[in-house]
Amino acid sequence: MQGDFFQLLKEQGYQFGNPVAAATGLEVPTATTILAMKYRDGVLVAGDRRATAGNMVMYDRTDKVLEIDRHSVMAIAGVPATAYEMVRVLEHSFKYYRRTQLQELSFEGKLRAVSKLLKENVPAALAGTGAVVPVFAGYDHEQAAAKIYFYDILGAEFEAVEYAVSGSGSPTIRGILHYVNTWGPQPLAALPEEQATVQALRLLSSAAEFDSATGGVNRELNLYPVVKLITAAGVHAIADVDLKRLYERDVVRGR
Amino acid sequence: MYEEPYRWIEAVGNRRHYLDEQFTKGAPVVALAYADGILMLTVSRGTPKLYEIYDRIALGGMGHPADLEKLRFSLLEMAHIEGFNRSPSDVTGARLMKYGLAPAIKQAFEEIYKAPFIVKILLAELGAKPERDLFLTINYDGTFEESRRWASLGASADVQAQMGRYLDSQTGVEQAPLKQAVEMALCAWAVGSLAQAASDVVERETAADSVSANKAVSEASSLPDKATLLDHVRKIVAKKSLECILLERKGPGSSKYRALRPDELGGVLPSGVGVPHPA
Repeated sequence: MQGDFFQLLKEQGYQFGNPVAAATGLEVPTATTILAMKYRDGVLVAGDRRATAGNMVMYDRTDKVLEIDRHSVMAIAGVPATAYEMVRVLEHSFKYYRRTQLQELSFEGKLRAVSKLLKENVPAALAGTGAVVPVFAGYDHEQAAAKIYFYDILGAEFEAVEYAVSGSGSPTIRGILHYVNTWGPQPLAALPEEQATVQALRLLSSAAEFDSATGGVNRELNLYPVVKLITAAGVHAIADVDLKRLYERDVVRGR
Repeated sequence: MYEEPYRWIEAVGNRRHYLDEQFTKGAPVVALAYADGILMLTVSRGTPKLYEIYDRIALGGMGHPADLEKLRFSLLEMAHIEGFNRSPSDVTGARLMKYGLAPAIKQAFEEIYKAPFIVKILLAELGAKPERDLFLTINYDGTFEESRRWASLGASADVQAQMGRYLDSQTGVEQAPLKQAVEMALCAWAVGSLAQAASDVVERETAADSVSANKAVSEASSLPDKATLLDHVRKIVAKKSLECILLERKGPGSSKYRALRPDELGGVLPSGVGVPHPA
């Protein structure tokens, strides 16, 4: 099929997700917390910055909210090697499609590309060496709306109406999200940009409180989570100085 | 019969003649470096002639659309495989030209039992710094050239030389803002377009009257003034559509290629040229 970069890669001998014999006692390692939620102007996607290997903290400056193109991001929980490779394949696939076919790949087409990759990755996911559980968010120009999709490790795709979470810290904040969205002063979808960002910072701090594999805010090192906003204008990352300001004003409890 | 060396040379000569004729009605292409990056423009009728190849590389072409499409696809494939397997910074215009385009075009040109590619191609590459901007042009026989500040495609070497003379005569092109750069590129394009029209006349008249042919040549070699050039552009643009793309050094994201929308184009065209037909 013309314009299919992934097919082209395969013709060149590329193999995504090495098939490995399935291990027993499968436990998907997804030590992280990522969240996506709709707010007034679009979708907010945030992630902590910690990468772990077992009990060890490997790195505290990971960016798990990766821009695939100007209007879509993929937030990743799971094995980073596979996740980064997926993002690289997707990034090139979307560009290749646009440049060969002289039109942007549709939003549905992008979603399909993500689940296709996850499906190809099933053997590696089952073996425990390459499981990835992503959240995909982007702006659908045809419907003039920002959307959130989440996936299971087998590639099934689900649309999130209000929010989606993934990673080991997600059970903690899922409940909070439900509570805030249902009984808070206003639903998440009505929050302006700044308030949505504050919520994201509070949620990730809560996740870090209860999940050792989620990195919180480290003010000494000036380390804040990654928060990106997707609107009709494209993807925009909130600068650390702004996160710091909001964190100090609305997240730290005055004593 | 082509086994004999003389016959082969003759056949290649015939092929040159045939190919030269194919480009006489084509629209020239102009690319130049300006203050914020690179600008490329041409005038087309229906099928576009300017394309995105990779993050920092654009293509402009003259010739047969099917041939152009075939070569464009092979470039896209090569660029994306390389960019994925190595890195986006390893995809360079020079390598695409030397290993991607030139061998294929030369081979097709010299295999006299097969059809040649009816194309001339210009690749513009946006450098990380202005001094690294690069332009590469390739002729239908596979010979290619590199240049720094600007490049052009025209029906013949003579037409391209005249466009070059015009661009060389302009000062401060590299520092020019978009609006000024568009005007210079349009004028250079008009120089090429008028030169092509003039040499067409020469060809038709050569057989009948060699005196008037010489006159036409001497007229064509002096550059027309700006008003004449813009007037020519105005006439052509009324019938065809103007295509203009940019490679913007400070553009957002990794892809620096951007086609100017018709409304944007309207804002940067010299007064009187008017908004072209939407592409």
